[in-house]
Amino acid sequence: MSDDSIIIPSTTTNSLSKLTINDYSKTGFGYNPSIGTQSNSINNIETSNLLISKKQIILSTSTIPIYEKLHLISKKSPIEEITLSSLLYLFSEIIQWQFKNSKNINDLEARLNGLGYKLGIKLIEMIKLKDGYKLLKRDTKILEILQFIHGPFWKFIFGKQADELEMSQNNNDEYMIIDNLPILNKYISIPKDYGDLNCCAFVAGIIEGSLDVSGFNCNVTAHTSTTDQHPLRTVYLIKFHSNVLYRENIRN
Amino acid sequence: MKVYSILILNKAGGLIYQNEISSGLNKLSANDYLVLAGTLHGVHAIGSKLSQSISTTNNLKNTEELNSIQNSNILSFGKALNPNNNKSGLQSIETDFFNLYNFQTVSGLKFIIITSPNDNFENFETSNEIFRKLYILYSDYVMKDPFYSLDMPIKSILFDKNVKELFR
Amino acid sequence: MSKKNTGDDIWKNNVEKIVKLFTLTYGSVVSQLCRDFQNNYYEVNQQLDKMGYNIGLRLIEEFLAKTGIKRCQSFKETADIITKLGFKIFLNIQPTIENWSNDGKSCSLIIPEPNPLTEFVELPITSDSKIGKELWYSQILCGVLRGALQMVQLDCDVNFIKDVLRGDDRTEMRLKLNKILKDEVPAGED
Repeated sequence: MSDDSIIIPSTTTNSLSKLTINDYSKTGFGYNPSIGTQSNSINNIETSNLLISKKQIILSTSTIPIYEKLHLISKKSPIEEITLSSLLYLFSEIIQWQFKNSKNINDLEARLNGLGYKLGIKLIEMIKLKDGYKLLKRDTKILEILQFIHGPFWKFIFGKQADELEMSQNNNDEYMIIDNLPILNKYISIPKDYGDLNCCAFVAGIIEGSLDVSGFNCNVTAHTSTTDQHPLRTVYLIKFHSNVLYRENIRN
Repeated sequence: MKVYSILILNKAGGLIYQNEISSGLNKLSANDYLVLAGTLHGVHAIGSKLSQSISTTNNLKNTEELNSIQNSNILSFGKALNPNNNKSGLQSIETDFFNLYNFQTVSGLKFIIITSPNDNFENFETSNEIFRKLYILYSDYVMKDPFYSLDMPIKSILFDKNVKELFR
Repeated sequence: MSKKNTGDDIWKNNVEKIVKLFTLTYGSVVSQLCRDFQNNYYEVNQQLDKMGYNIGLRLIEEFLAKTGIKRCQSFKETADIITKLGFKIFLNIQPTIENWSNDGKSCSLIIPEPNPLTEFVELPITSDSKIGKELWYSQILCGVLRGALQMVQLDCDVNFIKDVLRGDDRTEMRLKLNKILKDEVPAGED
């Protein structure tokens, strides 16, 4: 398995924020800003053949267009709830799988973060679509987007709001979202010799992906911060890049 | 009824978990617990052979049919039953100082509960319920923990904590 | 109680529920595996099956603990319990059973649409049509069944033969009992 094929934001150059105008979709479809509208036209033979042979298209896509499926969510979707158990088994298996591939604890966290990152990119669009026009406006301020993540976003993926949203007192580029009982960690006991590993690095990746794709470049890390009442309490530390703060200052 | 101690054995009779819930019995060394686990596992297996030779083929058929009836009841009424599947093996040991109950799951795990002596039948029912709760805790805090390897000793801190809370 | 409500009570009482995160997380696993194995979909299938198997070995304990199901008398009974209770509890769907073989050892499970694993999924249209012929997107389910049945001493083969994602008319899974591992059945059951 080659390491460079994984998107690990903030550690490799593959991060979305670092894509240049010369990067283009490898599948041959999609809008390429460096070419302009031309990129949407069907000019190469391979793609036009695909589009012409209708049979092949039916073979590789389902019968309902994906956007119609997304709109179905706002109505009552048939699969409203999947049991938490199934998700937790899957998550546990993901950790074991990534654990085998990783060199150390930091590497494991980076990999989990990378998996979550890809999810975050898709999730934020999906959630904005789900609630219709109410949420469809673009958030332009740090506080607005964070409140969205803390509220509706959290509720959509975990079925409840996050517990706290705080701004760091020392650094003005750092914010914290706090979850007192992170569902994914509910049954996981971290062995003593694994240091401060927190498997919610996966969730940190989700947050990082959705903030990055909304134009708020940042790094997000998950830290365990135990209190007597909440032994699994997890703090997601969000550190924005300087350009985001610069923009924020101009707008204010 | 007071629960002194619980033990969990894997399919092969190896001790994978042991917790002294409350004092009252002399403590055994770690090695002694391993021997106890292995011995109980053996006695259970041999005991079931004994009873097999006693029971007639008719009886055997009845167990299978009974299982079937129970399963279809679960299916049609959606009401869970106790997961204990220990029918012909060692079920309990009673002494003047303690009672020991042995439960087995369909997958072959054994849960052993050592309690204060009491010849009341309710004692068995209570420990049966304790077994069910322990098994559910096991399926949550051990089976969903990515850092646990199957059939190995359980070191999960959260499982420990929840087992203690069960008896509080 | 009507047949339709089978398993509902257990499902309601014992199991917590969550939303779409499951579907999407699974999607990111499949796409990561496609990258890891550089679009060698046979290997992706195999890896998904292996992951499922590991899940099955663990998931069976929760199933037994929370339902109290006893050892089955026949494989037909097993198949019935898998679809009406197993799928119901863990995925909230209820596949139908069809096409029993004459010896009663193999059958088809039809996964109803929408399949919770593939709800937002389309296989990509690329110049390389391999993915639509080789990838079994939901392969993890086969592994889960194989692993879970192994733990109750049933040695089975499970595989997909049709998938709506590939353009087939339905999603069909084949379940075949190889043998009952009698030597491994724990003592003291009968």
